[in-house]
Amino acid sequence: MTYRPEPDRDSQEWWERIATREFAVQRCDMCGTTRFPARAFCPACRTEAWHWQEVEPEGRVESWIVNHQPFMPGAREPYVVVMVRLAAVPGCLVYGNWHGERPPEPGERVRASYNRIDETLTLVNWTPAGG
Amino acid sequence: MAKRLLDFSDRTAIAGVGYTPFTKNSGVSTLTLACRAVLAALEDAGLTADDVDGLATHRVGDSAPPTLVAPALGLTDLAWHLDQFGGGSVSHAVVGQAALAVAAGVAEAVVCYRAINARSEFRMGGTGRGVPLSPEVQYQAPYGYVAPPQQYAMYARAHMLKYGTKAEHFGQLAVTQRANAAKNPRALMRTPITLDDYLASRWIAEPFRLLDCCLETDGACAVVVTTAERARSLRRPPVLISAAAWGGGTSHLSSVAAAADPTVTAAAALAPRLYAQAGLGPGDIDVAEIYDCFTYSVIVQLEDYGFCAKGEGGPYVASGATSLDGPLPVNTHGGFLSEGYVHGVNHVAEAVSQLRGDAGDRQVPGAEVALSTAQPGYILPATSALILRRS
Repeated sequence: MTYRPEPDRDSQEWWERIATREFAVQRCDMCGTTRFPARAFCPACRTEAWHWQEVEPEGRVESWIVNHQPFMPGAREPYVVVMVRLAAVPGCLVYGNWHGERPPEPGERVRASYNRIDETLTLVNWTPAGG
Repeated sequence: MAKRLLDFSDRTAIAGVGYTPFTKNSGVSTLTLACRAVLAALEDAGLTADDVDGLATHRVGDSAPPTLVAPALGLTDLAWHLDQFGGGSVSHAVVGQAALAVAAGVAEAVVCYRAINARSEFRMGGTGRGVPLSPEVQYQAPYGYVAPPQQYAMYARAHMLKYGTKAEHFGQLAVTQRANAAKNPRALMRTPITLDDYLASRWIAEPFRLLDCCLETDGACAVVVTTAERARSLRRPPVLISAAAWGGGTSHLSSVAAAADPTVTAAAALAPRLYAQAGLGPGDIDVAEIYDCFTYSVIVQLEDYGFCAKGEGGPYVASGATSLDGPLPVNTHGGFLSEGYVHGVNHVAEAVSQLRGDAGDRQVPGAEVALSTAQPGYILPATSALILRRS
């Protein structure tokens, strides 16, 4: 990792939960809509009350890139970044590095692969489900 | 559609365009570039700086704002000015907002400019520029996902997987635009390329090769917006602003919206508003300058602005439809891929040139209506576009 994420006041607790390997999204107390990333308001009913809900850290591969250009000082090219549609929040696309022996396949089911950096920071990569 | 309180269609016009040379190292400040482009646009229109009562730009903290350019040109009392934060997605919004200001009578002559040292000082996603200040960054940058070519490559592959779009489709677009640039003395890249050249160019971020990516350019470009009535009295044929539209909302980065589809852009929602304002449809467009930060950006917008069915953008380009002698000439100047990257304003200026009939060897005969578009909303969830027509 060459860039350390800077949590904001909305996302701090999400990162704290990830550090304990709890994959959580927000669920609206009023209408039950789940959402990610962390935001104060439910975009469906525009109310503020919500709670964290732990979900299976699973999704499907929607796309990926194989990066060759050194955009990030210190990164080792080539590396793969995947775009994953979260099963728990189908309207949501998340990103992470690919953790697999082979390239991703279109639409394949993946699971989070936690990459512990230190005590307070864990990153979320993606690996073939059941693999 | 809700009743519009101010119908500004065809009430304002672009009366002049101005450029600095496009280079890889201007050797001067963005303030200097801005002043040069503003003065060149005024000269083209037959106006002087004393006629200017408005200035507008868009920028991402990388260039001179109106509050610096005005005093540098001795303008002590602007009636209207706009320092729009944002990248390519707001490039056409700036011209649209100037048109609104002029139509409303707040200002009479507004110069919209973009000055950028995008190669020698502030490379997008590269040297001289910090990581963008967006809450989305924390979910992406730790994975080495930071630069527009990566983001667009991600969406391009999603389109390839869903619709069968091929590398050769992207390549044909790059080849076609280079052929246009070969006829444009201002273009930085004028040597023709072949599909084999495209396929042999090195990987940047698969599925993108080098020739999928726009240039990084030092330069500036400006356009003068005034009333249609005043423009008719000036030295150049006026080009009317028939429609200006804004749109956006859904983020593709990490989304709180329902049903984010990475193969659809904000342009799909904007397009009906834009066409309705002009009273025109896609079939009425004679020439289109389409924001081409990357090859795929053009292909997806050809679909979202209604020139072909969803998913058909690649085959549409491969058919030759977008070449200079095709039914819809696209990026007649060569675009960002081959003319130069001035963050959207050079697309507006090229549309003006085509409609005035002064585009030289790359002129589309009889062009009367042009579409010019902004970054379609992948990086910031917003976009903007203009329909211009010959008076």
